[in-house]
Amino acid sequence: MGEEAKEEFEPKVVGFTCNWCTYAAADLAGTSRKKYPPNSRIIRLMCSARLDPMFVLKVLLNGADGVFFSGCHPGECHYIKGNFYARRRIAAIRTILKQFGLDDRFKSYWISASEGEKFANTMKSLTEEVKQLGPNPMRGKII
Amino acid sequence: MKGAELKHGDLEGLLKGLLDKGVVDCLVVPHRAGKSVSYMLVTDADKIESAASALFAPSFSVNAANLVKGWTIKEKVGVVAKPCEIRAAVELIKLKQLDNESVLLIATDCSGAYTNQVYTEHYAEIGDQADSAKIKELEGKGLTIRESCAICENRLADVGDIIIATGAGDDLVVAGLTEKGEEALTTLELSLEDKDLERAAEKEEIAAEAKAKLASLPELSSLDALEEFLQDCIVCKNCRDMCPVCYCKECFFEQPLGDPAGGDLLNLAVLRGAVGLPTGQLFYHLTRVYHVSTTCVGCGACEDACPKDIPLTRFYPVITQKVQEIFKYEPGKDVDEPLPFTAYEEEELEECLR
Repeated sequence: MGEEAKEEFEPKVVGFTCNWCTYAAADLAGTSRKKYPPNSRIIRLMCSARLDPMFVLKVLLNGADGVFFSGCHPGECHYIKGNFYARRRIAAIRTILKQFGLDDRFKSYWISASEGEKFANTMKSLTEEVKQLGPNPMRGKII
Repeated sequence: MKGAELKHGDLEGLLKGLLDKGVVDCLVVPHRAGKSVSYMLVTDADKIESAASALFAPSFSVNAANLVKGWTIKEKVGVVAKPCEIRAAVELIKLKQLDNESVLLIATDCSGAYTNQVYTEHYAEIGDQADSAKIKELEGKGLTIRESCAICENRLADVGDIIIATGAGDDLVVAGLTEKGEEALTTLELSLEDKDLERAAEKEEIAAEAKAKLASLPELSSLDALEEFLQDCIVCKNCRDMCPVCYCKECFFEQPLGDPAGGDLLNLAVLRGAVGLPTGQLFYHLTRVYHVSTTCVGCGACEDACPKDIPLTRFYPVITQKVQEIFKYEPGKDVDEPLPFTAYEEEELEECLR
């Protein structure tokens, strides 16, 4: 590896995906040998409604450079309406994060099980965007 | 709405009537003890006499809704309190922490309040009641109402089952807003007539002043600003305990993950290199502001409870208002309106997702 490549900032991103759609999409991206950056660590939830906004706060305050959430498209939830509830919670936590300029580091998507390609592309653009933002300012803080 | 005109002198009789005629089994009412005002739970009508002079006292000690939180027994309790306290009680009904069948909510007009310690200290100047003119006059002398009251747009009683509205001089209007409230007033044998309490202009004036005050407060707009703001927080969680709408029996922040000690704390230090002590101010307050984001009524009890005098009004009501705006939800307004997190529209909020 060259000197420049070593110095390039590699962000750490934590992702929360639902079991039925986006986790399957990540699987599909893998089995179809789509390439995408390895910066994301995915945590599988059974449903997007399992995403407690506290997870997002904890991830960001502990210094992860980005956090994303992804589930079934609205109206296509495996549990019928889980993602409708999730959407409201995400909207609320995003409003709070926005106040403190942290909302750029929190992304949310809808990616269905058949969208392996979209998942790979999303991971590419997400990693790029977080790279642009630079390291999370929380990293250096003593809190 | 059906109501009746009364004078201040009639208040004592009104409250006594609620107990004597069996409308309620007990009452939570303001109670005057010398210069200070707090609450009492009263079952004997004879003990009411101190209440009438305390009913409109511009003093805030605790949020009355917090006192009846968890009131799910069948004995009926009447709560006489300021609009913010009644709104909190309405939220508690929706959160199933209060039984709508066993409360009678009576809201009294408020003109803004002083903290109870300021009120007690300056009782000679403030007196039993203060209208907005008097509050302005006292402001000139350096006595200011609580910040949460100054930014409050809902000081006129317009929630609950019954309202007690102040008019010019000695005049009062008692009116029922719900069937339950009207029934109670009928039992009291008040001569009820159709009342059209037209107070839109007054309400607008209050709202304009409140908005101007809010705009003049320093805004917490960055993580650094928030960190500085919370620097002195000792995570005593008093703000949670005094918050009327924070109700979890087992708070996350009492558990090892939320309140790390020993090995858990050392793990955090290993993860980050160093960890501030006490730890978790940001996590605690950001989580709490999310938890109360749709139900916060902006009563300011958190700020009053803070032993380190952190002006929490600049954080909690200010931020929760922004969340309530996206759901177009006003906490405490309507007991039948579902809480935002328990409802959804099939198509909404896409602009909040990115």
